[in-house]
Amino acid sequence: MQANIERIRAFIFSNFLFDADEGTLDNDASFLEQGIIDSTGVLELVEWLEETFSMKVQDEELIPENLDSVNRLTRFIAQKTA
Amino acid sequence: MLLTDYLKAAAEQWSEKTVLIHGNKDFTYSDLDKAAMGVAAGLQKIGVEPGFRGALLIDDPYEYIVSYFGILLAGGIVVGLNTQTSDASLAYVLNDCQASVLFSADKFIGHAQASMPLVSSVQKLIVSGIADKGVHLGNSCQMHSFNDICGCPQPALHALPYRSSCDFAQIIYTSGTTGKPKGVVLRHANLIANTSSIVSYLDLQSSDRVMAVLPFFYSYGNSIMLTHLAVGGSLVVNQSFLYPNVILQQMLDHEVTGFSGVPSTFALLLNRSAVASFSFPKLRYLTQAGAAMSPELTRRLKSTFQGVKIFIMYGQTEASARLSYLHPDEVERKPGSIGKGIPGVELTLRDRMGMPVQKGEVGEIVARGENIMAGYWQRPVETREVLRSEGLWTGDLARCDEEGFLYIVSRKNDLIKSGSHRIGPKEIEDVLTEHTAVYEVAVIGIPDEILDERICACIILRPGCECSEKELKAHCKKYLPRYKIPHSIIFFRDLPKTTSGKVQKSDLRLMVSTL
Repeated sequence: MQANIERIRAFIFSNFLFDADEGTLDNDASFLEQGIIDSTGVLELVEWLEETFSMKVQDEELIPENLDSVNRLTRFIAQKTA
Repeated sequence: MLLTDYLKAAAEQWSEKTVLIHGNKDFTYSDLDKAAMGVAAGLQKIGVEPGFRGALLIDDPYEYIVSYFGILLAGGIVVGLNTQTSDASLAYVLNDCQASVLFSADKFIGHAQASMPLVSSVQKLIVSGIADKGVHLGNSCQMHSFNDICGCPQPALHALPYRSSCDFAQIIYTSGTTGKPKGVVLRHANLIANTSSIVSYLDLQSSDRVMAVLPFFYSYGNSIMLTHLAVGGSLVVNQSFLYPNVILQQMLDHEVTGFSGVPSTFALLLNRSAVASFSFPKLRYLTQAGAAMSPELTRRLKSTFQGVKIFIMYGQTEASARLSYLHPDEVERKPGSIGKGIPGVELTLRDRMGMPVQKGEVGEIVARGENIMAGYWQRPVETREVLRSEGLWTGDLARCDEEGFLYIVSRKNDLIKSGSHRIGPKEIEDVLTEHTAVYEVAVIGIPDEILDERICACIILRPGCECSEKELKAHCKKYLPRYKIPHSIIFFRDLPKTTSGKVQKSDLRLMVSTL
Protein backbone atom coordinates (compact mmCIF):
# COMPACT_ATOMS: atom_id res chain seq x y z
CA MET A 1 0.00 0.00 0.00
CA GLN A 2 2.71 2.47 1.06
CA ALA A 3 4.75 1.58 -2.02
CA ASN A 4 1.79 2.43 -4.25
CA ILE A 5 1.25 5.75 -2.45
CA GLU A 6 4.87 6.65 -3.15
CA ARG A 7 4.56 5.65 -6.82
CA ILE A 8 1.38 7.72 -7.25
CA ARG A 9 2.94 10.73 -5.55
CA ALA A 10 6.04 10.43 -7.70
CA PHE A 11 3.86 10.34 -10.84
CA ILE A 12 1.81 13.37 -9.74
CA PHE A 13 4.90 15.41 -8.92
CA SER A 14 6.70 14.37 -12.05
CA ASN A 15 3.82 15.12 -14.40
CA PHE A 16 1.66 17.82 -12.82
CA LEU A 17 3.39 19.56 -9.93
CA PHE A 18 6.93 19.54 -11.33
CA ASP A 19 8.99 21.63 -8.92
CA ALA A 20 6.47 21.85 -6.07
CA ASP A 21 7.50 21.04 -2.53
CA GLU A 22 6.68 17.42 -1.54
CA GLY A 23 4.82 18.69 1.50
CA THR A 24 2.32 20.59 -0.63
CA LEU A 25 0.28 17.54 -1.54
CA ASP A 26 -1.92 15.96 1.09
CA ASN A 27 -2.88 12.36 0.24
CA ASP A 28 -6.56 13.21 0.73
CA ALA A 29 -6.45 16.44 -1.33
CA SER A 30 -8.85 16.48 -4.27
CA PHE A 31 -7.00 16.83 -7.57
CA LEU A 32 -10.06 18.60 -8.93
CA GLU A 33 -10.51 21.12 -6.13
CA GLN A 34 -6.80 21.85 -5.86
CA GLY A 35 -6.57 22.38 -9.63
CA ILE A 36 -3.77 19.80 -9.82
CA ILE A 37 -5.08 17.88 -12.81
CA ASP A 38 -7.18 18.91 -15.79
CA SER A 39 -9.21 16.66 -18.09
CA THR A 40 -6.15 15.74 -20.15
CA GLY A 41 -4.32 14.98 -16.94
CA VAL A 42 -6.98 12.49 -15.93
CA LEU A 43 -6.44 10.63 -19.19
CA GLU A 44 -2.68 10.63 -18.66
CA LEU A 45 -3.26 9.34 -15.15
CA VAL A 46 -5.49 6.53 -16.42
CA GLU A 47 -2.97 5.60 -19.10
CA TRP A 48 -0.26 5.45 -16.43
CA LEU A 49 -2.44 3.34 -14.11
CA GLU A 50 -3.17 0.87 -16.89
CA GLU A 51 0.49 0.56 -17.87
CA THR A 52 2.01 0.57 -14.43
CA PHE A 53 -0.43 -1.72 -12.66
CA SER A 54 -1.42 -3.86 -15.66
CA MET A 55 -5.09 -3.11 -15.14
CA LYS A 56 -7.90 -1.98 -17.40
CA VAL A 57 -9.85 1.07 -16.24
CA GLN A 58 -13.41 0.88 -17.54
CA ASP A 59 -15.15 4.03 -18.76
CA GLU A 60 -17.69 3.68 -15.93
CA GLU A 61 -14.83 3.76 -13.42
CA LEU A 62 -13.68 7.26 -14.43
CA ILE A 63 -15.29 8.89 -11.42
CA PRO A 64 -13.88 11.05 -8.63
CA GLU A 65 -14.51 8.32 -6.05
CA ASN A 66 -11.81 6.23 -7.75
CA LEU A 67 -9.36 8.81 -9.03
CA ASP A 68 -9.57 12.15 -7.27
CA SER A 69 -6.83 11.89 -4.61
CA VAL A 70 -3.73 9.86 -3.80
CA ASN A 71 -5.63 7.84 -1.20
CA ARG A 72 -8.59 7.21 -3.51
CA LEU A 73 -6.25 6.04 -6.23
CA THR A 74 -4.46 3.74 -3.81
CA ARG A 75 -7.75 2.12 -2.79
CA PHE A 76 -8.85 1.83 -6.41
CA ILE A 77 -5.60 0.11 -7.40
CA ALA A 78 -5.92 -2.28 -4.45
CA GLN A 79 -9.47 -3.17 -5.52
CA LYS A 80 -8.57 -3.67 -9.15
CA THR A 81 -5.46 -5.72 -8.53
CA ALA A 82 -6.84 -7.83 -5.66
CA MET B 1 -30.21 48.10 -25.68
CA LEU B 2 -27.53 46.96 -23.24
CA LEU B 3 -26.43 43.51 -22.06
CA THR B 4 -27.74 44.36 -18.61
CA ASP B 5 -31.26 44.58 -20.09
CA TYR B 6 -31.19 40.80 -20.52
CA LEU B 7 -30.96 40.24 -16.78
CA LYS B 8 -33.39 43.06 -15.96
CA ALA B 9 -36.02 41.79 -18.40
CA ALA B 10 -35.66 38.18 -17.31
CA ALA B 11 -35.84 39.16 -13.63
CA GLU B 12 -39.09 41.02 -14.32
CA GLN B 13 -40.67 38.24 -16.34
CA TRP B 14 -39.31 35.14 -14.56
CA SER B 15 -38.42 36.52 -11.15
CA GLU B 16 -38.58 33.24 -9.20
CA LYS B 17 -37.46 30.93 -11.96
CA THR B 18 -34.22 28.99 -11.37
CA VAL B 19 -31.60 30.38 -13.71
CA LEU B 20 -28.45 28.83 -12.30
CA ILE B 21 -27.70 25.42 -10.83
CA HIS B 22 -24.18 24.82 -9.56
CA GLY B 23 -23.44 21.82 -7.35
CA ASN B 24 -26.11 21.77 -4.67
CA LYS B 25 -26.88 25.48 -5.00
CA ASP B 26 -29.46 27.12 -7.20
CA PHE B 27 -30.36 30.73 -7.87
CA THR B 28 -33.35 32.54 -9.32
CA TYR B 29 -33.33 35.44 -11.75
CA SER B 30 -34.36 37.65 -8.86
CA ASP B 31 -31.32 36.45 -6.84
CA LEU B 32 -28.95 37.30 -9.69
CA ASP B 33 -30.53 40.65 -10.41
CA LYS B 34 -30.49 41.79 -6.79
CA ALA B 35 -26.89 40.66 -6.30
CA ALA B 36 -25.74 42.31 -9.55
CA MET B 37 -27.40 45.56 -8.51
CA GLY B 38 -25.70 45.22 -5.13
CA VAL B 39 -22.32 44.79 -6.83
CA ALA B 40 -22.99 47.88 -8.95
CA ALA B 41 -23.86 49.88 -5.84
CA GLY B 42 -20.80 48.55 -4.04
CA LEU B 43 -18.57 49.51 -6.94
CA GLN B 44 -20.02 53.00 -7.04
CA LYS B 45 -19.49 53.30 -3.31
CA ILE B 46 -15.81 52.50 -3.62
CA GLY B 47 -15.47 55.15 -6.28
CA VAL B 48 -15.23 53.56 -9.72
CA GLU B 49 -15.61 55.77 -12.78
CA PRO B 50 -17.55 54.79 -15.94
CA GLY B 51 -15.31 52.97 -18.37
CA PHE B 52 -13.28 51.30 -15.63
CA ARG B 53 -12.00 47.81 -16.33
CA GLY B 54 -13.20 45.23 -13.82
CA ALA B 55 -11.29 41.96 -14.07
CA LEU B 56 -12.77 38.66 -12.90
CA LEU B 57 -10.52 35.90 -11.55
CA ILE B 58 -13.43 33.80 -10.43
CA ASP B 59 -14.53 30.25 -11.12
CA ASP B 60 -17.75 30.26 -9.12
CA PRO B 61 -20.51 30.82 -11.71
CA TYR B 62 -22.84 32.75 -9.36
CA GLU B 63 -20.08 35.16 -8.34
CA TYR B 64 -18.92 35.43 -11.94
CA ILE B 65 -22.35 36.29 -13.34
CA VAL B 66 -23.32 38.80 -10.67
CA SER B 67 -19.90 40.48 -10.87
CA TYR B 68 -20.15 40.54 -14.67
CA PHE B 69 -23.50 42.31 -14.64
CA GLY B 70 -22.54 44.43 -11.61
CA ILE B 71 -19.53 45.82 -13.48
CA LEU B 72 -21.66 46.57 -16.54
CA LEU B 73 -24.38 48.25 -14.44
CA ALA B 74 -21.72 50.42 -12.81
CA GLY B 75 -20.62 51.50 -16.30
CA GLY B 76 -17.51 49.35 -16.45
CA ILE B 77 -15.92 46.97 -18.93
CA VAL B 78 -15.71 43.29 -17.96
CA VAL B 79 -12.41 41.47 -18.37
CA GLY B 80 -12.95 37.77 -17.68
CA LEU B 81 -9.62 36.16 -16.82
CA ASN B 82 -8.55 32.61 -17.43
CA THR B 83 -8.35 31.11 -13.94
CA GLN B 84 -5.64 28.70 -15.10
CA THR B 85 -3.08 31.43 -14.93
CA SER B 86 0.42 32.15 -13.72
CA ASP B 87 1.53 35.17 -11.72
CA ALA B 88 3.28 36.61 -14.78
CA SER B 89 0.31 36.04 -17.12
CA LEU B 90 -2.08 37.65 -14.64
CA ALA B 91 0.16 40.68 -14.19
CA TYR B 92 0.51 41.04 -17.94
CA VAL B 93 -3.24 41.09 -18.62
CA LEU B 94 -4.06 43.39 -15.69
CA ASN B 95 -1.39 45.83 -16.84
CA ASP B 96 -2.41 45.59 -20.48
CA CYS B 97 -6.06 46.47 -19.86
CA GLN B 98 -5.20 48.78 -16.94
CA ALA B 99 -7.79 47.12 -14.73
CA SER B 100 -8.66 49.21 -11.70
CA VAL B 101 -10.77 46.56 -9.98
CA LEU B 102 -9.96 42.88 -9.59
CA PHE B 103 -12.51 40.39 -8.33
CA SER B 104 -10.73 37.29 -7.08
CA ALA B 105 -11.87 34.06 -5.52
CA ASP B 106 -9.90 33.34 -2.36
CA LYS B 107 -8.33 30.27 -3.96
CA PHE B 108 -6.58 32.54 -6.48
CA ILE B 109 -5.47 35.12 -3.95
CA GLY B 110 -1.89 33.81 -4.17
CA HIS B 111 -1.73 34.82 -7.83
CA ALA B 112 -3.34 38.17 -7.05
CA GLN B 113 -0.88 38.85 -4.23
CA ALA B 114 2.13 37.87 -6.33
CA SER B 115 1.09 40.01 -9.28
CA MET B 116 0.03 43.14 -7.35
CA PRO B 117 3.56 44.54 -6.95
CA LEU B 118 3.88 44.38 -10.75
CA VAL B 119 0.52 46.03 -11.41
CA SER B 120 -0.01 49.64 -10.52
CA SER B 121 -3.47 50.09 -12.03
CA VAL B 122 -5.45 47.86 -9.65
CA GLN B 123 -6.79 50.00 -6.84
CA LYS B 124 -9.50 47.70 -5.49
CA LEU B 125 -9.27 43.98 -4.87
CA ILE B 126 -12.59 42.31 -4.13
CA VAL B 127 -12.15 38.88 -2.60
CA SER B 128 -14.78 36.24 -2.15
CA GLY B 129 -14.56 33.60 0.57
CA ILE B 130 -12.00 34.64 3.11
CA ALA B 131 -11.72 38.36 3.01
CA ASP B 132 -9.99 39.61 6.06
CA LYS B 133 -7.29 37.10 6.81
CA GLY B 134 -4.46 39.55 6.75
CA VAL B 135 -3.66 39.39 3.05
CA HIS B 136 -0.83 41.79 2.30
CA LEU B 137 -0.99 43.35 -1.12
CA GLY B 138 2.18 45.34 -1.00
CA ASN B 139 0.88 48.49 -2.69
CA SER B 140 -1.87 51.04 -2.33
CA CYS B 141 -4.56 48.58 -3.41
CA GLN B 142 -7.50 48.32 -1.03
CA MET B 143 -9.13 45.00 -0.31
CA HIS B 144 -12.88 44.50 0.07
CA SER B 145 -15.04 41.50 0.79
CA PHE B 146 -17.22 40.29 -2.07
CA ASN B 147 -20.11 39.82 0.33
CA ASP B 148 -19.83 43.41 1.57
CA ILE B 149 -19.78 44.72 -2.00
CA CYS B 150 -22.59 42.46 -3.16
CA GLY B 151 -24.72 43.22 -0.10
CA CYS B 152 -24.83 46.97 -0.69
CA PRO B 153 -28.37 48.40 -0.84
CA GLN B 154 -29.60 48.37 -4.41
CA PRO B 155 -29.36 51.69 -6.16
CA ALA B 156 -32.20 53.24 -8.13
CA LEU B 157 -31.66 52.60 -11.83
CA HIS B 158 -31.36 56.34 -12.52
CA ALA B 159 -28.47 56.48 -10.06
CA LEU B 160 -26.43 54.23 -12.35
CA PRO B 161 -24.35 55.79 -15.09
CA TYR B 162 -25.88 56.16 -18.54
CA ARG B 163 -24.40 53.76 -21.10
CA SER B 164 -25.17 53.29 -24.74
CA SER B 165 -25.02 50.17 -26.90
CA CYS B 166 -21.91 51.59 -28.57
CA ASP B 167 -20.00 51.56 -25.29
CA PHE B 168 -17.40 48.89 -24.66
CA ALA B 169 -18.79 46.02 -22.60
CA GLN B 170 -16.08 43.40 -22.55
CA ILE B 171 -12.45 42.72 -23.26
CA ILE B 172 -11.69 39.07 -23.94
CA TYR B 173 -8.04 38.06 -24.16
CA THR B 174 -7.04 35.79 -26.97
CA SER B 175 -3.73 34.17 -27.83
CA GLY B 176 -1.66 36.01 -30.39
CA THR B 177 0.69 34.39 -32.85
CA THR B 178 3.33 36.99 -32.19
CA GLY B 179 3.63 36.50 -28.47
CA LYS B 180 1.47 37.98 -25.74
CA PRO B 181 -2.34 37.72 -25.66
CA LYS B 182 -4.39 40.55 -27.17
CA GLY B 183 -7.55 42.06 -25.71
CA VAL B 184 -10.54 41.82 -28.04
CA VAL B 185 -12.81 44.78 -27.32
CA LEU B 186 -16.53 44.12 -27.73
CA ARG B 187 -19.29 46.69 -27.53
CA HIS B 188 -22.70 45.96 -26.00
CA ALA B 189 -24.06 46.11 -29.56
CA ASN B 190 -21.57 43.49 -30.83
CA LEU B 191 -22.51 40.98 -28.16
CA ILE B 192 -26.23 41.69 -28.45
CA ALA B 193 -26.19 41.21 -32.24
CA ASN B 194 -24.40 37.88 -31.88
CA THR B 195 -26.61 36.75 -29.00
CA SER B 196 -29.79 37.51 -30.98
CA SER B 197 -28.49 35.64 -34.00
CA ILE B 198 -27.51 32.53 -32.01
CA VAL B 199 -30.84 32.56 -30.16
CA SER B 200 -32.67 32.62 -33.48
CA TYR B 201 -30.86 29.76 -35.23
CA LEU B 202 -30.76 27.54 -32.12
CA ASP B 203 -34.41 28.48 -31.53
CA LEU B 204 -33.67 28.95 -27.84
CA GLN B 205 -36.68 29.32 -25.54
CA SER B 206 -37.19 30.07 -21.88
CA SER B 207 -37.75 26.33 -21.40
CA ASP B 208 -34.17 25.59 -22.48
CA ARG B 209 -31.69 24.46 -19.89
CA VAL B 210 -28.08 24.07 -20.99
CA MET B 211 -25.29 22.04 -19.42
CA ALA B 212 -22.53 24.65 -19.34
CA VAL B 213 -19.10 23.02 -19.14
CA LEU B 214 -17.06 25.73 -20.85
CA PRO B 215 -15.65 28.54 -18.72
CA PHE B 216 -17.46 31.85 -19.07
CA PHE B 217 -14.18 33.75 -19.59
CA TYR B 218 -13.95 32.18 -23.05
CA SER B 219 -15.89 33.72 -25.88
CA TYR B 220 -17.83 30.47 -26.46
CA GLY B 221 -18.72 30.09 -22.77
CA ASN B 222 -19.64 33.77 -22.64
CA SER B 223 -22.08 33.33 -25.51
CA ILE B 224 -23.68 30.30 -23.84
CA MET B 225 -24.26 32.39 -20.72
CA LEU B 226 -25.64 35.40 -22.60
CA THR B 227 -27.92 33.47 -24.98
CA HIS B 228 -29.59 31.55 -22.18
CA LEU B 229 -30.06 34.63 -20.00
CA ALA B 230 -31.44 36.49 -23.01
CA VAL B 231 -34.33 34.02 -23.39
CA GLY B 232 -34.98 33.40 -19.71
CA GLY B 233 -33.44 29.93 -19.89
CA SER B 234 -31.35 28.13 -17.30
CA LEU B 235 -27.72 27.14 -16.86
CA VAL B 236 -26.51 23.97 -15.16
CA VAL B 237 -22.86 24.69 -14.57
CA ASN B 238 -19.95 22.34 -14.04
CA GLN B 239 -16.86 23.82 -15.63
CA SER B 240 -14.39 21.14 -14.65
CA PHE B 241 -14.63 18.45 -17.27
CA LEU B 242 -12.38 16.04 -15.40
CA TYR B 243 -14.95 13.34 -14.93
CA PRO B 244 -17.34 13.17 -17.90
CA ASN B 245 -19.55 10.60 -16.13
CA VAL B 246 -20.33 13.17 -13.45
CA ILE B 247 -21.42 15.63 -16.16
CA LEU B 248 -23.60 13.00 -17.85
CA GLN B 249 -25.32 12.26 -14.55
CA GLN B 250 -25.97 15.98 -14.00
CA MET B 251 -27.39 16.27 -17.51
CA LEU B 252 -29.81 13.50 -16.67
CA ASP B 253 -30.68 14.71 -13.16
CA HIS B 254 -31.39 18.26 -14.31
CA GLU B 255 -33.11 17.27 -17.55
CA VAL B 256 -30.97 19.56 -19.69
CA THR B 257 -32.15 20.41 -23.19
CA GLY B 258 -28.80 21.54 -24.56
CA PHE B 259 -25.10 20.80 -24.35
CA SER B 260 -22.22 22.77 -25.85
CA GLY B 261 -18.66 21.67 -26.27
CA VAL B 262 -15.44 21.85 -28.23
CA PRO B 263 -14.23 18.80 -30.19
CA SER B 264 -12.18 17.53 -27.24
CA THR B 265 -15.30 17.63 -25.04
CA PHE B 266 -17.09 15.33 -27.46
CA ALA B 267 -14.02 13.16 -28.01
CA LEU B 268 -13.81 12.62 -24.25
CA LEU B 269 -17.52 11.83 -24.02
CA LEU B 270 -17.37 9.35 -26.87
CA ASN B 271 -14.04 7.74 -26.00
CA ARG B 272 -13.78 7.80 -22.22
CA SER B 273 -17.21 7.95 -20.66
CA ALA B 274 -20.21 5.73 -20.10
CA VAL B 275 -22.31 7.86 -22.48
CA ALA B 276 -23.66 4.79 -24.26
CA SER B 277 -25.42 3.67 -21.09
CA PHE B 278 -27.25 7.00 -20.68
CA SER B 279 -30.28 8.33 -22.48
CA PHE B 280 -31.42 11.92 -22.39
CA PRO B 281 -35.09 12.22 -23.28
CA LYS B 282 -35.13 16.00 -22.83
CA LEU B 283 -31.94 16.75 -24.78
CA ARG B 284 -32.82 18.84 -27.83
CA TYR B 285 -29.53 20.15 -29.21
CA LEU B 286 -25.74 19.87 -29.12
CA THR B 287 -23.48 22.66 -30.31
CA GLN B 288 -19.85 22.28 -31.31
CA ALA B 289 -17.35 25.05 -31.94
CA GLY B 290 -13.83 26.03 -30.92
CA ALA B 291 -11.99 23.99 -33.57
CA ALA B 292 -12.75 21.76 -36.52
CA MET B 293 -14.37 18.49 -35.51
CA SER B 294 -13.59 15.54 -37.74
CA PRO B 295 -16.49 14.21 -39.82
CA GLU B 296 -15.90 10.81 -38.17
CA LEU B 297 -16.36 12.24 -34.66
CA THR B 298 -19.46 14.08 -35.87
CA ARG B 299 -20.85 10.84 -37.30
CA ARG B 300 -20.26 9.02 -34.01
CA LEU B 301 -21.84 11.88 -32.10
CA LYS B 302 -24.91 11.73 -34.29
CA SER B 303 -25.20 8.00 -33.86
CA THR B 304 -24.81 8.24 -30.06
CA PHE B 305 -27.25 11.13 -29.64
CA GLN B 306 -29.94 10.00 -32.03
CA GLY B 307 -32.77 12.47 -32.55
CA VAL B 308 -30.74 15.34 -31.07
CA LYS B 309 -30.00 18.31 -33.33
CA ILE B 310 -26.26 18.80 -33.84
CA PHE B 311 -25.07 22.30 -34.72
CA ILE B 312 -21.53 22.52 -36.10
CA MET B 313 -20.41 26.11 -35.62
CA TYR B 314 -17.45 28.32 -36.40
CA GLY B 315 -16.38 31.64 -34.99
CA GLN B 316 -13.76 33.82 -33.41
CA THR B 317 -13.49 35.89 -30.27
CA GLU B 318 -13.15 38.88 -32.63
CA ALA B 319 -16.71 38.15 -33.82
CA SER B 320 -18.16 38.07 -30.27
CA ALA B 321 -18.15 34.31 -30.75
CA ARG B 322 -20.08 33.10 -33.76
CA LEU B 323 -19.72 33.53 -37.52
CA SER B 324 -21.24 30.48 -39.19
CA TYR B 325 -23.19 27.30 -38.48
CA LEU B 326 -24.11 24.15 -40.32
CA HIS B 327 -27.81 23.41 -40.03
CA PRO B 328 -28.41 20.04 -38.29
CA ASP B 329 -30.29 18.78 -41.37
CA GLU B 330 -27.12 19.25 -43.44
CA VAL B 331 -24.64 17.54 -41.12
CA GLU B 332 -24.69 14.25 -43.01
CA ARG B 333 -24.93 15.78 -46.48
CA LYS B 334 -22.09 18.27 -45.92
CA PRO B 335 -19.52 16.50 -43.71
CA GLY B 336 -16.61 18.73 -42.72
CA SER B 337 -18.42 21.94 -43.60
CA ILE B 338 -18.76 24.89 -41.20
CA GLY B 339 -22.00 25.82 -42.97
CA LYS B 340 -22.97 29.36 -43.90
CA GLY B 341 -22.93 32.74 -42.19
CA ILE B 342 -25.28 33.07 -39.20
CA PRO B 343 -28.18 35.54 -39.49
CA GLY B 344 -26.78 39.06 -39.69
CA VAL B 345 -23.29 37.96 -40.77
CA GLU B 346 -21.96 38.07 -44.32
CA LEU B 347 -18.99 35.83 -45.07
CA THR B 348 -16.92 36.15 -48.22
CA LEU B 349 -13.75 34.42 -49.38
CA ARG B 350 -11.11 36.83 -50.65
CA ASP B 351 -7.66 36.72 -52.15
CA ARG B 352 -4.69 38.71 -50.83
CA MET B 353 -5.72 41.74 -52.83
CA GLY B 354 -9.16 41.73 -51.20
CA MET B 355 -11.00 40.45 -54.26
CA PRO B 356 -13.65 37.73 -53.89
CA VAL B 357 -12.41 34.35 -55.15
CA GLN B 358 -14.37 32.12 -57.55
CA LYS B 359 -16.50 29.27 -56.20
CA GLY B 360 -14.29 26.28 -55.38
CA GLU B 361 -11.15 28.41 -55.00
CA VAL B 362 -9.45 28.92 -51.66
CA GLY B 363 -9.63 32.35 -50.06
CA GLU B 364 -9.45 33.94 -46.62
CA ILE B 365 -12.74 34.18 -44.74
CA VAL B 366 -13.73 37.82 -44.32
CA ALA B 367 -16.71 38.64 -42.11
CA ARG B 368 -19.03 41.59 -41.85
CA GLY B 369 -21.74 42.09 -39.26
CA GLU B 370 -22.80 43.95 -36.15
CA ASN B 371 -21.03 41.33 -34.07
CA ILE B 372 -17.51 42.24 -35.22
CA MET B 373 -15.25 43.66 -32.49
CA ALA B 374 -14.35 47.30 -32.06
CA GLY B 375 -10.66 46.33 -32.21
CA TYR B 376 -7.79 45.06 -30.10
CA TRP B 377 -7.29 46.96 -26.87
CA GLN B 378 -4.62 49.63 -27.32
CA ARG B 379 -3.22 47.90 -30.43
CA PRO B 380 -4.03 50.03 -33.46
CA VAL B 381 -1.52 48.31 -35.73
CA GLU B 382 -2.83 44.79 -35.07
CA THR B 383 -6.39 46.12 -35.33
CA ARG B 384 -5.73 47.61 -38.76
CA GLU B 385 -4.22 44.32 -39.93
CA VAL B 386 -7.49 42.44 -39.40
CA LEU B 387 -10.21 45.11 -39.55
CA ARG B 388 -10.11 46.42 -43.10
CA SER B 389 -12.66 47.95 -45.42
CA GLU B 390 -13.88 44.49 -46.47
CA GLY B 391 -14.54 43.44 -42.86
CA LEU B 392 -12.80 41.18 -40.34
CA TRP B 393 -10.00 39.14 -41.93
CA THR B 394 -10.16 35.93 -39.93
CA GLY B 395 -6.87 34.34 -40.93
CA ASP B 396 -8.75 31.16 -41.83
CA LEU B 397 -8.53 29.88 -45.39
CA ALA B 398 -11.58 28.16 -46.84
CA ARG B 399 -13.33 27.13 -50.00
CA CYS B 400 -16.99 27.36 -50.82
CA ASP B 401 -19.02 24.71 -52.69
CA GLU B 402 -21.67 25.32 -55.37
CA GLU B 403 -24.39 25.64 -52.74
CA GLY B 404 -22.49 28.18 -50.67
CA PHE B 405 -21.32 25.87 -47.88
CA LEU B 406 -17.91 26.73 -46.47
CA TYR B 407 -15.07 24.34 -45.74
CA ILE B 408 -12.00 25.41 -43.76
CA VAL B 409 -8.85 24.37 -45.58
CA SER B 410 -6.13 25.71 -43.30
CA ARG B 411 -5.18 28.57 -41.06
CA LYS B 412 -2.76 31.33 -41.91
CA ASN B 413 -1.41 31.40 -38.39
CA ASP B 414 0.13 28.56 -36.43
CA LEU B 415 -2.01 28.81 -33.30
CA ILE B 416 -2.24 25.51 -31.46
CA LYS B 417 -5.75 24.36 -30.58
CA SER B 418 -5.52 22.15 -27.54
CA GLY B 419 -8.78 21.26 -25.82
CA SER B 420 -10.73 24.48 -25.46
CA HIS B 421 -7.54 26.58 -25.57
CA ARG B 422 -5.97 28.48 -28.44
CA ILE B 423 -2.31 28.81 -27.77
CA GLY B 424 0.28 31.00 -29.47
CA PRO B 425 3.52 28.99 -29.77
CA LYS B 426 5.64 32.13 -29.65
CA GLU B 427 4.79 32.80 -26.01
CA ILE B 428 5.96 29.30 -25.04
CA GLU B 429 9.05 29.59 -27.24
CA ASP B 430 9.95 32.88 -25.55
CA VAL B 431 9.73 31.31 -22.10
CA LEU B 432 11.80 28.26 -23.08
CA THR B 433 14.42 30.41 -24.77
CA GLU B 434 15.03 32.13 -21.45
CA HIS B 435 16.27 28.86 -19.95
CA THR B 436 20.06 28.93 -19.84
CA ALA B 437 20.43 25.43 -21.35
CA VAL B 438 18.22 26.13 -24.37
CA TYR B 439 19.87 27.16 -27.61
CA GLU B 440 16.90 27.00 -29.96
CA VAL B 441 13.27 26.04 -29.66
CA ALA B 442 10.23 25.54 -31.88
CA VAL B 443 6.81 24.78 -30.44
CA ILE B 444 4.27 22.94 -32.57
CA GLY B 445 0.89 21.26 -32.21
CA ILE B 446 0.79 17.55 -32.91
CA PRO B 447 -2.49 15.73 -33.62
CA ASP B 448 -4.27 14.16 -30.67
CA GLU B 449 -7.43 12.10 -30.69
CA ILE B 450 -8.93 13.81 -27.64
CA LEU B 451 -7.35 17.25 -27.46
CA ASP B 452 -7.19 17.95 -31.19
CA GLU B 453 -3.59 19.01 -30.69
CA ARG B 454 -0.95 18.44 -28.02
CA ILE B 455 1.79 20.97 -27.42
CA CYS B 456 5.23 19.70 -28.36
CA ALA B 457 8.41 21.70 -27.75
CA CYS B 458 11.34 20.80 -29.97
CA ILE B 459 14.59 21.84 -28.35
CA ILE B 460 18.24 22.17 -29.26
CA LEU B 461 20.38 22.44 -26.13
CA ARG B 462 23.45 24.66 -25.91
CA PRO B 463 26.70 22.75 -26.46
CA GLY B 464 27.86 21.16 -23.23
CA CYS B 465 24.54 21.75 -21.46
CA GLU B 466 22.33 19.06 -20.06
CA CYS B 467 18.72 19.50 -19.11
CA SER B 468 15.82 17.13 -18.56
CA GLU B 469 12.25 17.36 -19.83
CA LYS B 470 11.07 17.71 -16.24
CA GLU B 471 13.42 20.65 -15.61
CA LEU B 472 12.14 22.47 -18.68
CA LYS B 473 8.51 21.84 -17.73
CA ALA B 474 9.21 23.15 -14.23
CA HIS B 475 10.73 26.26 -15.84
CA CYS B 476 7.58 26.73 -17.96
CA LYS B 477 5.38 26.31 -14.89
CA LYS B 478 6.99 29.39 -13.34
CA TYR B 479 5.90 31.64 -16.20
CA LEU B 480 3.03 29.98 -18.01
CA PRO B 481 -0.45 28.77 -17.09
CA ARG B 482 -0.72 24.99 -16.81
CA TYR B 483 -2.49 24.57 -20.16
CA LYS B 484 0.43 26.19 -21.98
CA ILE B 485 3.06 23.85 -20.53
CA PRO B 486 4.20 21.53 -23.35
CA HIS B 487 2.83 18.02 -23.13
CA SER B 488 6.08 16.71 -24.52
CA ILE B 489 9.59 18.01 -25.02
CA ILE B 490 11.79 16.45 -27.68
CA PHE B 491 15.50 17.14 -27.99
CA PHE B 492 16.99 17.60 -31.46
CA ARG B 493 20.47 18.15 -32.89
CA ASP B 494 19.06 20.25 -35.76
CA LEU B 495 15.71 21.72 -36.69
CA PRO B 496 14.52 21.90 -40.32
CA LYS B 497 14.95 25.44 -41.66
CA THR B 498 13.97 27.51 -44.66
CA THR B 499 16.73 29.16 -46.68
CA SER B 500 16.19 32.31 -44.66
CA GLY B 501 16.90 30.36 -41.48
CA LYS B 502 13.32 30.18 -40.18
CA VAL B 503 12.23 26.91 -38.59
CA GLN B 504 10.03 25.03 -41.05
CA LYS B 505 7.26 23.90 -38.79
CA SER B 506 5.43 21.81 -41.38
CA ASP B 507 8.57 19.70 -41.83
CA LEU B 508 9.09 19.57 -38.09
CA ARG B 509 5.53 18.27 -37.58
CA LEU B 510 6.27 15.56 -40.12
CA MET B 511 9.53 14.65 -38.36
CA VAL B 512 7.82 14.46 -34.98
CA SER B 513 5.00 12.33 -36.37
CA THR B 514 7.50 9.71 -37.51
CA LEU B 515 9.34 9.48 -34.18
